[in-house]
Amino acid sequence: MTDLLANLALGFSVAANPYNLMFCLLGAFVGTLVGVLPGVGTVATVAMLLPITFGLPPVGALIMLAGIYYGAQYGGSTTSILVNIPGEATSVVTCLDGHQMAKQGRAGPALSIAALGSFFAGCVATVLVAALGAPLTSVALMFGPAEYFSLMVLGMIFAVVLAKGSVLKAVAMILLGLLLSMVGSDLETGAGRMTFDIPELSDGIGFANVAMGLFGFAEIIRNLEMSKEGREIVNAKITGLMPTRQDLIDSSGAIARGTVLGSILGILPGGGAVVASFAAYTFEKRMSKHPERFGRGAIQGVAAPESANNAAAQTAFIPLLTLGIPPNAVMALMVGAMTIHGIVPGPQVMIKQPELFWGMIASMWLGNLMLVVINLPLVGIWVSLLRVPYRLLFPSIIVFCCIGIYSINNAPADVLIAAMFGLVGYWLVKHDFEPAPLVLAFVLGPLMEENLRRAMLIARGDPTVFATRPISAGLLFVAITLLVLAMLPMLKKKRDEVFVESEN
Amino acid sequence: MSDGTNTSPKRGGFQFKVRGPQDFYGGLALIVVAILAVIASSNLPGQQGFAFGPGTAPRIFAGMLAFVGAVVALTGLLVDGPKIERFAIKGPTYVVAAILLFAAMIRGISLGPIHIPALGLIISTYTAFIVSIMGSTEMRWVESLIAAACMTLFCVILFVYLLGLPFQLWPWY
Repeated sequence: MTDLLANLALGFSVAANPYNLMFCLLGAFVGTLVGVLPGVGTVATVAMLLPITFGLPPVGALIMLAGIYYGAQYGGSTTSILVNIPGEATSVVTCLDGHQMAKQGRAGPALSIAALGSFFAGCVATVLVAALGAPLTSVALMFGPAEYFSLMVLGMIFAVVLAKGSVLKAVAMILLGLLLSMVGSDLETGAGRMTFDIPELSDGIGFANVAMGLFGFAEIIRNLEMSKEGREIVNAKITGLMPTRQDLIDSSGAIARGTVLGSILGILPGGGAVVASFAAYTFEKRMSKHPERFGRGAIQGVAAPESANNAAAQTAFIPLLTLGIPPNAVMALMVGAMTIHGIVPGPQVMIKQPELFWGMIASMWLGNLMLVVINLPLVGIWVSLLRVPYRLLFPSIIVFCCIGIYSINNAPADVLIAAMFGLVGYWLVKHDFEPAPLVLAFVLGPLMEENLRRAMLIARGDPTVFATRPISAGLLFVAITLLVLAMLPMLKKKRDEVFVESEN
Repeated sequence: MSDGTNTSPKRGGFQFKVRGPQDFYGGLALIVVAILAVIASSNLPGQQGFAFGPGTAPRIFAGMLAFVGAVVALTGLLVDGPKIERFAIKGPTYVVAAILLFAAMIRGISLGPIHIPALGLIISTYTAFIVSIMGSTEMRWVESLIAAACMTLFCVILFVYLLGLPFQLWPWY
């Protein structure tokens, strides 16, 4: 306990450094700014803004990226409430009741409850990250290659089970992602793999290019073909930000339950935040004595998913910081950013660079505080941003992405690759394949292969090693059970139910 | 397997009819990708003793992908599923053209008879903006020209002056 406090004190001393405070504020601000734009998701936001953090010192860069991440998340809920367009997958459910509240002239309370719920969830999750960091790190140190491999299999299976639609197609996306990650030089022998003798591919396909293509460009292409039927913005002036006492009483339980649910789901690999918000909403509706109010502007319907997705967004850092395994696409970008700064994510970070580890955790809390501070007064600005017509917005996003991708390596080829993945993403959507598992597998691929090869080498080519080592066997058992359960049609129906509920 | 309408399973003799085109063609494409991966990694050494070679993992995963792709295609053949939505042409064409132009102009390119000199950040950004906006059905010229100039200015200020990234601004130094 004293250790924890001492560590947190160290963290706050790092995070409270004026420069770091500024990076945190800037990150949260810019993140919200971009996150508010409709059609730009969290992954795309972080990918877009990644290049602007390259010039900063490592701690500052990561603090700023974390700020961008929360900001984007929060910006997404603002658009959900005001325009009924979720900026992020995580705030899809927030639309249901949030926009109804806005239509009833209660946009202010909806926004502030979303902010307060997120803040509360953020506080709890920060403590949780700090408390779980140390013990999990010691677990991580016991992990050998076989365990790591099995853990990653489990993570991918989670992504498959939680993906929308067909389990089989999600598995296919995982495999495709793994294959794509193998393009480039082999890690052990340096042999060029599947490069078709194109020199630009010899270093592999950059993650930012894939993410930007699949989430940024593909999304734009898709949005363009939709009819221009208007986005209805709540035009009424937003007055009275403060929720009433009754609002606070009504939503406090929902916030608490959402936080718990989100914290747990966030740790699990495979896109926790999205599922957390859906699960929290469904749970809250089941719990409620007045389920009929949901979808008609129930404040619990805003409070629960917003708290849950923020808690999950934050606890998602736990597997990244302790095990070095990114549980979702945004965390994967974080890995990319850390690698660029020469930090290898994993248990070593906490031991060798405590100021980075704890500084980041402390800045999570500060970032959440700043979101409340900057967002509530600035709601007016965000709303006016939403009035920018899409026909002007999308070319801006395109050129911004182009410059961003190009600036990472000063390589025009990267821009071409992103364009190609834009088309691939468009094709995938048309065939009902989800890109998220692909991206996760793409990031985990090299790590997974490395550990697979190492484990096989240590076991002298005996594949039973994954089943005979207890931790590895346990992880694989859970993975297989999950997969089998997901394949069962009964559960599939249930899964669809959760998602269908969001669509009507 | 798909979220589509599985209302009335057809009875009667075996028909060669694609019932779920999304799954069927999607699965076929996955098989093609898997075959391409196998061909591309065929020159790599595989298993050596009990150590994986560079080619082992790609082959394993390509094999699995081909298998899953086949199952997906088969479901598409046997189970009713949603049709494939029409692909738009105009939007994607202009968007991709804009991105390609940006990539070609920023550093210059020589492709056979086509020779584009390095035009620098300002001209590349402006062109990419204008070309991509042409993909929209609601384009207005005057507004677009002004917006493109504003965005270009914004990007130059952000990337070159605030972030200090080394960009060539104009075709000349």
